[in-house]
Amino acid sequence: MSGLSTKRLMKELADIQSKGTPEGIILLSADSMEEWVFLISVLGEETIYKGETFALRMKFGNRYPIDVPEVTFLANEQYQPPLHPHVYSNGHICASILGNEWSPVLNAVAICITMQSMLASNKKKERPEGNDRYVRTAPSNPKLTRWHYDDDTV
Amino acid sequence: MDMSNHPLLSSMDEPPPFPPSHPHLRRLDRSVVCQICKEPFQAPVSIGCGHSFCSSCIRSSLDVMKKCPSCNEPALEGQIRRNRALEEITDSWEESRPIIYELAQPPPTKKRRASIQESNSKPSSSSGTKRLKPNSSREGSGSRSQSPIKSRRSDDGDHNSLNGNGEMEDEEDDEVQELTENDEAPCPICQATLPISSIPLHIEKGCPPPKTKTNGNGVGGRKGNQKADWKKVFSGQGLGGKSKDKEVEMKRITKPNYSLATPADLRSILSEYSLPTTGDKPTLIARVQEWIILFNSNLDTSHRSSLSALRAKLSDSENSKKRDKEKGKDEMVNQLGSKDGLQKYAKEKKGEFERLRKEIIERDRKRREQEEGKGRGRDNAIEVE
Repeated sequence: MSGLSTKRLMKELADIQSKGTPEGIILLSADSMEEWVFLISVLGEETIYKGETFALRMKFGNRYPIDVPEVTFLANEQYQPPLHPHVYSNGHICASILGNEWSPVLNAVAICITMQSMLASNKKKERPEGNDRYVRTAPSNPKLTRWHYDDDTV
Repeated sequence: MDMSNHPLLSSMDEPPPFPPSHPHLRRLDRSVVCQICKEPFQAPVSIGCGHSFCSSCIRSSLDVMKKCPSCNEPALEGQIRRNRALEEITDSWEESRPIIYELAQPPPTKKRRASIQESNSKPSSSSGTKRLKPNSSREGSGSRSQSPIKSRRSDDGDHNSLNGNGEMEDEEDDEVQELTENDEAPCPICQATLPISSIPLHIEKGCPPPKTKTNGNGVGGRKGNQKADWKKVFSGQGLGGKSKDKEVEMKRITKPNYSLATPADLRSILSEYSLPTTGDKPTLIARVQEWIILFNSNLDTSHRSSLSALRAKLSDSENSKKRDKEKGKDEMVNQLGSKDGLQKYAKEKKGEFERLRKEIIERDRKRREQEEGKGRGRDNAIEVE
């Protein structure tokens, strides 16, 4: 891990420690400066995800924050990725902020907030088109997938 | 999770924030922090939209995407301008921060005075070491003076070769003469002196520094050249970029066009700065890129590091990258090396394996049917048991 990314992540961790995370977002584990897991739930009565909690995993490379971290929803016995038209069943997320709209001024909590609001604005519980085909052939690192960001409504 | 005593934070010695009772001081404290690295600005620069970052931060970011990280406005490296005022503000704020921090503490009550003073002095001293560390090391490396680089340049013969060059021009310029394509002339973009015939290709390649004795940045052999310069002016050739020579001496490295540059081009850049020239093309590119960021951002501050310090930084970051890479590899190798790991891997991939097998069987069956349909009995499909 290069010094710069470690330093930056330390600051983020200290920030979370002193100011806490926004409501509905919990830092579940940060055992190293390489991989953090957040728990995300959507607040309010109107959401279709009421009562559900999702685990968002971030893997930070040594060029963070210049390079976007690798972000996926966990898909294991304990946690399932949310049913959402931009979230594949293997946990991969199609969101421009994790691709060409990433900016190094953003941080881990900002990603969580974006994911939370992406879920909050969704009205239909469904998988993306071509989910099965994608999941079959997807690389384990979603950053290696070429994404098309075409739908701004959800 | 319990954040109160996080093990990863134990090694952190951040200066404590100002108390909430002083929101304006908190704001001031935040305003001298680069939004990319979240550290106090080092070699601050501004770009076209007016946002400021550390020089090396924004240079790294623009290598990845050509826009401002804060406002998304299109941005180019050419827009980077040194922000001297911000550097001065950052430095003086960092220097005065411990004092102001003490002044901003709520007045201690009599009873608790002793203990509070103790806790006051602790954080402020740690803030002194932490936030002022860059300053003290900066001073150590000779702030302001550009001598390390200058002296290095004359050390390794650049100077001489250019002096030779200058004398050559001197002779040439005794009379007005027409240039032939074998003559040398400064590149209109980077001012490097090159044979005229090779200038178009040189520009096409994004102005790589020329390989042989002429210096890549067109750093002029300053003193001996003046006469030649004047002669040029009078002979109507014009000075071209020569008038800029003084800055050129410390000039930023022009980025090569990485897709056109050959490994030899990259090696010549690296050797010009006495850097290792080993490795394949991607390694060389990464090294040149990193070096250009380090070198160019070092020109954006008055607290210049010596070239050897920059070289040490480069090798540090290269080593840590290598470690990262190898770590990832090891995990995979370990997994596949052990019996359990191998079984686990096989289990995980079983579905995929089955699917591929079925696909192949299906494909072959279809092909066979097709060929039989054509009335040809020959079976050349791959046998899949």
